[in-house]
Amino acid sequence: MTKRRMFLRMVTASLLRRRSRMLIALLSIGIGATILAGMVTIYYDVPRQMRAQMRSYGANMLLMPTEGETLDSEKLAEALDKLPEDALVGASPYRYVRLDMTSRQQSFTTAGTDFAQVQKTSPYFSVEGRYPEAPREILVGGEIAETIGVKVGSDMELTWQPTAKDASGSAEDDRVPGATLAGSAKGFGDQMVYVTATLDDEAKIKEIKIDASTQTPEYGGRTQTEPGFAEQFIGKTLPLEAGEDIDALSGATVTSTAVVDALNAARAADESAQPKTTRYRVTGILVTGGEEEGYVFMSTDDLTALTGEDRLDVAELSISADEAQLTEYAQALTGEGVTARLVKRVTKSETAVLGKLQALVFLVTVVVLILTMICVSTTMMAVVSERRREIGLRKALGASDNSIRGEFLGEGMFLGLLGGVLGAVLGFAFAQVVSVNVFHASIVFRPLLLPVTVLVSMLIAAASCLMPIKRAVAIDPAIVLKGE
Amino acid sequence: MALLELKNISKIYGELKALDNVSIHVDKGEWVAIMGPSGSGKSTMMNIIGCMDKPTKGEVLLDGEDISKLPSKRLTDIRRDKIGLIFQQFHMVTYLTAVENVMVSQYYHSMPDEEEALEALGRVGLRERAKHLPSQLSGGEQQRVCVARALINHPELILADEPTGNLDEANENIVLDLFRQLHREGTTLIVVTHDPEVADAAQRTIVLEHGKVAREVVNENFVE
Repeated sequence: MTKRRMFLRMVTASLLRRRSRMLIALLSIGIGATILAGMVTIYYDVPRQMRAQMRSYGANMLLMPTEGETLDSEKLAEALDKLPEDALVGASPYRYVRLDMTSRQQSFTTAGTDFAQVQKTSPYFSVEGRYPEAPREILVGGEIAETIGVKVGSDMELTWQPTAKDASGSAEDDRVPGATLAGSAKGFGDQMVYVTATLDDEAKIKEIKIDASTQTPEYGGRTQTEPGFAEQFIGKTLPLEAGEDIDALSGATVTSTAVVDALNAARAADESAQPKTTRYRVTGILVTGGEEEGYVFMSTDDLTALTGEDRLDVAELSISADEAQLTEYAQALTGEGVTARLVKRVTKSETAVLGKLQALVFLVTVVVLILTMICVSTTMMAVVSERRREIGLRKALGASDNSIRGEFLGEGMFLGLLGGVLGAVLGFAFAQVVSVNVFHASIVFRPLLLPVTVLVSMLIAAASCLMPIKRAVAIDPAIVLKGE
Repeated sequence: MALLELKNISKIYGELKALDNVSIHVDKGEWVAIMGPSGSGKSTMMNIIGCMDKPTKGEVLLDGEDISKLPSKRLTDIRRDKIGLIFQQFHMVTYLTAVENVMVSQYYHSMPDEEEALEALGRVGLRERAKHLPSQLSGGEQQRVCVARALINHPELILADEPTGNLDEANENIVLDLFRQLHREGTTLIVVTHDPEVADAAQRTIVLEHGKVAREVVNENFVE
C-alpha cells in the first residue's frame, strides 16, 4: 500500500466514521457554497432578468424615416428583421394625424398604432375598459375623455380633412360633396375623351356629358352622338365597369371603356379630396399621467382606411439589451431610409439601476463568503480541539508538522469538494426559487458554475483550516498524552 | 554497551526541580523499570527519553548521540525511527480499525504494509480483531494493539508509560508476556510504572524520589 492510499484511507475514514461532526462541517460549507452559487447565478442573471423588467419603463429606441424619406409598415418590418428575435420585446408603429370631431368642433391628434405591440412597448399604459380589438374601435386619452365627456362604450365620429393644410379653403367650402365630376381618359389612338357628370344626393348619376370629338365619328364618336349610350349611366352609382354595368357600343369598345374609365377616375380623385368621416366605438380610456392622455389611438389599419395612406412617422422599439448592444443595434438598423436612435433617458437609468443591483448582490456574496469562512473555521477549530489527543498521538508516532498540516488540509479540501458539489446543485435550486419569486422568470444553468463553486468552496475550506491547523501543529504530544 | 545514557540531567519549571541532576544508563537489550510515587519525576524522565521534551541541563545520549540540544524536528525523526511508545491510556485513532492504527505508525515511519501490520496483530493475538474499531475492543485488546503498533517498525527502544495501569490482571499478564517475548528478541524496554509487580518483571528497577534517583535494584529472580 502506498502512502497516498493510506492517506486517502485515513481521510475518508475520518470523514465517514465521524459522521456527525463532519456533517456539521459539510453543512456549513454546503450552505456557504449554496448561497455563493446562488448569488453568483443571480449576479450574472440579474441583468438578463431585470432588463426584461426594465422594459416596463417603455421604449428604449426610436426608428424614424431619414430626412426626405418615408416610413411604412413594410420598411419597418424589414428593419426589424435585422434584430435578434429574442432581443426585441416589442415594436409599436406610430402615425400621427389631426382628426376633427365636427359635432364638438374639436380636433385631436390621433395616433395610428398596433395595440398588441403598444402593450409590450408601453406596459405602463393603464386602460380603463380594454384595448381595441375589432376594426373601428378606439382608445381615447383621459384628458380628451374628460374634456368632451366620452366614456367607454361611447361612439365618436372623426373626420379626416385631406386639405387640412389649406385651412381657409376647407372651412369655407360649401360645395356639395361630389356634386359634379369631371374626368378624362385615353380613347382610340391615344386621343383623350372628356366626361362630365352631375350626381344627385344619393351619389347616383343624374346627368352626363360626353366629349368624344377626338374619336372617329363613325365609331368612337357615336358615344357622344348616340343618346342611348349616355342614358345607360343615368341612375347608376360609380365606380362602374365597362361590359358589365355599361354595354359598349359595337365598333367603339375602346372609346366606350374610356368613358367609363374617365368617370371612375373623376370619382376616385373626388373621393380622396373629400373629407371622410367614420364612426368609432370607444373601448377604453387611456390613463398615463403623461402627454398620451391628449391623444386618440386607433389601429394603423383604421387610420389607413380613413386617410387612404399607409405611412408611419415613427416606431417605438423596446429591446432587451445593455447600452453597448443597443448602440450596436441602432447602427445596424440605421440605413435604407431609416434612422434609429436610443432613448437615452431610459437606457442610462437602466444601466445605473442594474449596476447598483449587481454591486449589492456582489457585496452580499462577499459577506456570505466571509461568514462561511468563519463558520467552517469554527467547526474545524472544534474538530482540532476534539482531536487533540489524536494529533498528539500522531506526533508521538513520528508525524512531522507537515504531515499534520497535510492531513487536516486534506480533510478540509475533501469537505470543500463535497460541500461545493452540494452547494452548486442546491445553489442553482436556490437561485431558481429566488428568480421565480422575485423576477417571475426561470434561470439559465451555467455549466461553469459547478467547477467554479467546487473550486471556490475547496479554497474556502482550505483557508478556513489555516488557523485550526496552526493550533494542531502547536499541540505538545507530551501534554495531551499524559495519563490520568 | 549503553543504548541510553542520561548524564546529570535536570528539568526545572520555575522553582520546581522535576528532575535534579539525574544520571542513569540503560544497556542495549536491557529491560529496565522506572518506579516512583506521583511527582517523583517519572513522567518528566519518560518525556525526555521519549524525545518529547528536552532537559534544562545535562546530556541525553541515545545510541551515543547527544539528543538533548536537538531541535524538536530532529527529535521527531529520532522518536519515529528508534522509539516505540506505549501509553497508559492506549491512545488509538478512534475512527481507524485496529490494523489501520498499526498502519498509521508504518505510514509515518516508512511504508504502510497491511500484511505486516496483520502479522504484528497476530503476534499480540488479535489478528481476528483486525477490522474492529477501538470502541469495539476491550481495554486489554486496545493495549495489545498499541504494543503491536509500538513494535511494528522494529524500534531499538520500547518506552512504556504505565502500560498496565488501566488493565485487569489477566490482561496485565498478557502484556507482560509480550514484553518478555520482545526482551528475548533483544529489544530494549523501559517501563515506567508504580506497580511493583510490573517492576518485578524487569531486570532492573530505578526508583525516583523527589526528582532524584533514590536507588537502583537488580531483580535477582529475573527469568530470561
